[in-house]
Amino acid sequence: MVDPLFALTVFGLVVAALAVTLWPRFGIVARFRSGRNAEERVRMEDALKHLFKSEYRDRQATLVSVAGALESSQSTAAETLERLREAGLVESADTMRLTADGRAYALRIIRTHRLWERYLADRTGVEPGEWHERAEHQEHILTEEEVDRLDARLGRPRYDPHGDPIPTSSGELVRPSGRPLASLDPGSEAVITHLEDEPRELYDRLLEAGLSPRMRIRMVAPVPGGVRIEVDGRVVRLDTMAAGNVTVERRDTPHTDAAGADTLADVPAGGAAVVVGISPSCTGVQRRRLLDLGVVPGTRLVAEMASPTGDPTAYRIRGALIALRRDQQRWIRVRDIAEDADDENTNSELVANSTMTDGGAAA
Amino acid sequence: MSPSLASGTAPHREQSLVRLGLSPDRWDILVALAGNPNTGKSTVFNALTGLRQHTGNWPGKTVVRAEGVFAHEGERMKVVDLPGTYSLQASTVDEEVARDFLLFGRPDVTVVVVDATRLERNLNLLLQTLEITDHVVVCLNLMDEARRHGIAIDVDELERQLGVPVVPTVARRGEGMQKLLTAIHDVATRQRETDPVRVDEYAPEVEAAAERLEPAIIDAFPDLPNPRWVALRLLNADARVEEAVRSGEIGQLRADAAPPPVTGIRMHGTSSDSDARGRRGGGRSRTAVDAGGVALAASAEEIATEEAHAEVLRLASELRWTLPENVHDTIVASTYRKAEEIAKAATSTPSARVRSTLDRTLDRLLTSKWTGFPVMLLILTVVFWLTIAGANVPSSMLATLLIDTVHPALNQFGASVGMPWWLSGFLFDGVYLATAWVISVMLPPMAIFFPIFTLLEDFGYLPRVAFNLDGLFRRVGAHGKQALSMTMGFGCNAAGVVATRVIDSPRERLIAIITNNFSLCNGRWPTQILLASIFIGALAPAGLAGLVSASAVVGVAIIGMIAMFGTSWALSRTVLKGEASTFSLELPPYRPPRILQTLYTSLIDRTLIVLWRAVVFAIPAGAVIWLTSNIPIGDQSIAAHAVQLLGPFGALVGLNGVILLAYVVAIPANEIVIPTILMLTVLVTPELQGLGEGAGVMFESGIDVEMVLETAGWTLLTAVNVMLFSLLHNPCSTTIYTIWKETGSVKWTSVATFLPLVMGFTVTFLLTQVVRLFGGG
Repeated sequence: MVDPLFALTVFGLVVAALAVTLWPRFGIVARFRSGRNAEERVRMEDALKHLFKSEYRDRQATLVSVAGALESSQSTAAETLERLREAGLVESADTMRLTADGRAYALRIIRTHRLWERYLADRTGVEPGEWHERAEHQEHILTEEEVDRLDARLGRPRYDPHGDPIPTSSGELVRPSGRPLASLDPGSEAVITHLEDEPRELYDRLLEAGLSPRMRIRMVAPVPGGVRIEVDGRVVRLDTMAAGNVTVERRDTPHTDAAGADTLADVPAGGAAVVVGISPSCTGVQRRRLLDLGVVPGTRLVAEMASPTGDPTAYRIRGALIALRRDQQRWIRVRDIAEDADDENTNSELVANSTMTDGGAAA
Repeated sequence: MSPSLASGTAPHREQSLVRLGLSPDRWDILVALAGNPNTGKSTVFNALTGLRQHTGNWPGKTVVRAEGVFAHEGERMKVVDLPGTYSLQASTVDEEVARDFLLFGRPDVTVVVVDATRLERNLNLLLQTLEITDHVVVCLNLMDEARRHGIAIDVDELERQLGVPVVPTVARRGEGMQKLLTAIHDVATRQRETDPVRVDEYAPEVEAAAERLEPAIIDAFPDLPNPRWVALRLLNADARVEEAVRSGEIGQLRADAAPPPVTGIRMHGTSSDSDARGRRGGGRSRTAVDAGGVALAASAEEIATEEAHAEVLRLASELRWTLPENVHDTIVASTYRKAEEIAKAATSTPSARVRSTLDRTLDRLLTSKWTGFPVMLLILTVVFWLTIAGANVPSSMLATLLIDTVHPALNQFGASVGMPWWLSGFLFDGVYLATAWVISVMLPPMAIFFPIFTLLEDFGYLPRVAFNLDGLFRRVGAHGKQALSMTMGFGCNAAGVVATRVIDSPRERLIAIITNNFSLCNGRWPTQILLASIFIGALAPAGLAGLVSASAVVGVAIIGMIAMFGTSWALSRTVLKGEASTFSLELPPYRPPRILQTLYTSLIDRTLIVLWRAVVFAIPAGAVIWLTSNIPIGDQSIAAHAVQLLGPFGALVGLNGVILLAYVVAIPANEIVIPTILMLTVLVTPELQGLGEGAGVMFESGIDVEMVLETAGWTLLTAVNVMLFSLLHNPCSTTIYTIWKETGSVKWTSVATFLPLVMGFTVTFLLTQVVRLFGGG
């Protein structure tokens, strides 16, 4: 019989070896995969993308900025630029201007990148912080045909989940509109049009603050080293660096719908409220499901009962009893919360009054 | 009846129906049955088709779809039951299946089953259906519930509002079914014209874009019955519709590819505005359409058509940029607004008052903080007790009949007709005995467990269990409904895997499928009980032996649940992290279950199907077992060679070669593990030679199991390891096959197969080595 100590040692070694090989992100397999990114073609495509973005933002690309984008030495960057020139994608390595072919190529890469981010946002459960990184990898892999098929399957989205427009298959790209967040006057309202997803640390801070494109915000006041803004009724503080990565568009008409910060999660069991809307951060299948269930502006929801563990809660939505989890409840903004939803004498028009009169009539 | 209908279908249409998975038998009228979940749609289906139904799966899809054919007034009607959906936006597989069938299957009439107590919500689906097709009959079901809740619906008004026939029914009692049949017949044969209501107040930007797109569509496809709907779908960038436009397939959906014009009887009260709106391209005969569809057009014309198709798509993508970004939201909101308006006009009571006091009282008892869990545990305990206690008697009766009576009789018969030993051995000792074991162990508990389970489901209790337990399942990244598939897995894992269909979120469904095997199934209980009573019960004083061994079995089941939660947690954070996830759980109203109907369907749908699959796999297993132990290579049978080969590895994980080989040959069914182990043990243990009837035959009942195992060197550690390994090993082949059918993926099937196996080996290995390290074993 095998000595148990020996057997256990061998087992431990095997487990350790497997961990070293397969551990996500740091294992040998993962490193090998990301190492392939260093291929020549990938570098050329990344350089093209950088040059295009520089032109698009009216900034002059330099050898330093190219090397920065490629995370390589300047000599490698220079080599890559030379290759691009040979391929007829860049006019000259000095001016770094793209040729028409180069521009079209860059747009295809950007299109793939942004579509893939849209795909991750709408059809998968991948966390927002990981979208960019995964798209960086995928943009070099998908063929044009696959991208077109993806585009059709996703319902030809127009913007990526950060608010960047997605180039069309014919290579058109709309100009982004908007201005930096910090340029807003105190008290003015705006809609977020774009969140920059690089670098990841700053983007994570924006996600933490609960920001997402198409969300309405209000500038409270600039504060030393940053700004204070109101998002979904909460006031958050962003430092100057993070705020610099937010683009907004002013909305002069005060938005009537966001009466407050209340979400469905604030409705007590037995209470009721009227739907104002679903937060823009709820996208894709999740959003469609809520809409199909009848969670549309004006619908009155009654919180019938909480489950024994407190989450989920069952709501009466247009006649049916539907359980929603707390995450979903937080997406649904509501107004006119009534503590006690008595069926007989309230309807959506009366809710506002019943808040005052029915408060003490709990059964 | 007109001959064109009797011919069944036009050629191109037949093709698309076959592609949609319809069996190509003959019928005169094709009826699609659509509706929200929980509206009694399948009751309507059964009431229409009687018992002449058979259920089948969509090819390549996971959704159950039933078809049935029946005769009405001398015509064959084929009813296709579409998956229950809330909408036709094609954002889930179910919705896609339903939508594609309505659009490309072109049923002669679509029956939309509407829950009278939830009119407003159900109208959402109905309004979307009316955008696609004019030929709709509304089956206003559950009228009895509506009356009970004090909801009065003005059917005439509703019919006037909708512009299609509305038939109030109580399908479970067969009320209104005759009227429904008449309406179906009249609409299908176009004896009754319909003039469906349309949602016409979309957001101004949407309306403007649709108005610009519609002419281009009509230009390219002049006879399309629903150009506005196509325009809206294109603006919403519906991939399937785009494809149909590009290929021109959508052009086949000409208005009224149905019977020649009949002198129709217009519906009451709708004549005034239906005249005004008119119907596009009505009155085309089917033959003319067919000719148009298959005739070879001149090539120049073809190119022109293709250009027109491309133009539609180009214009659509251009117009899309003029729309607000949340165009889908506004479309859904408009549809609901319309639904609300119609419901308000047709209902005399506000739809708010729909929950009866009885429902509330029940919910208070079954889902409250203090009583929810105790009641749940009580109910589940009673169900398991009924299953185990109730199955004992029929199980042993079946065993006596099939194994002790029929088997010797078969052998006698074989001998009397002079069958060679190998033939009778192969057929009776191998194939027959294995199958008999499986049936006698499996059938009784399943025939008790599944009907009870289905009754609880129909009553509406199981969704409450999911509601109660969702908090736990959420924490490990799973769906509350996994509680149902898990519980079902205690009956049979294959059935448990099928039951995951109720989970409509891809990630949570995969988790439920992969972890279902951790529910100790019926076929594994006997192994646990036998080993626990021989080896563990013996440790306790005689009076407590029963209790101790029972606790050991329950302990193994609990280890299984811990493994299920742990694996769910790990899966949702690693390999399944990226899968899409949504949550919704509808709690249907409580409904008194119909006992007989339930017994019938659960027997057909669950018990017999699972049993059939098990038998199909048990037959070859029996053959393999007999062959390996009776075909010698050199001086030993194949089985003995294999046992020797597997021996060293078996020793490493605290099992032995016999046990491992038994698990290999018993992949088809866990039920035959113990008989196989006994048979192989006798075969390879010299001290036991001559026991029973002889080597290579599965045992008949009544041998001294304890003596056999102990002679073969089993210890307490071996027994515990076998109990653990019985819990943690690959699913049986029936379940593996079911997983493959449900997921359609080799990858996930492999994960579900090998993950528990690796876990089992790891656990038994560690346990064995640690025990040995401290001088045990």
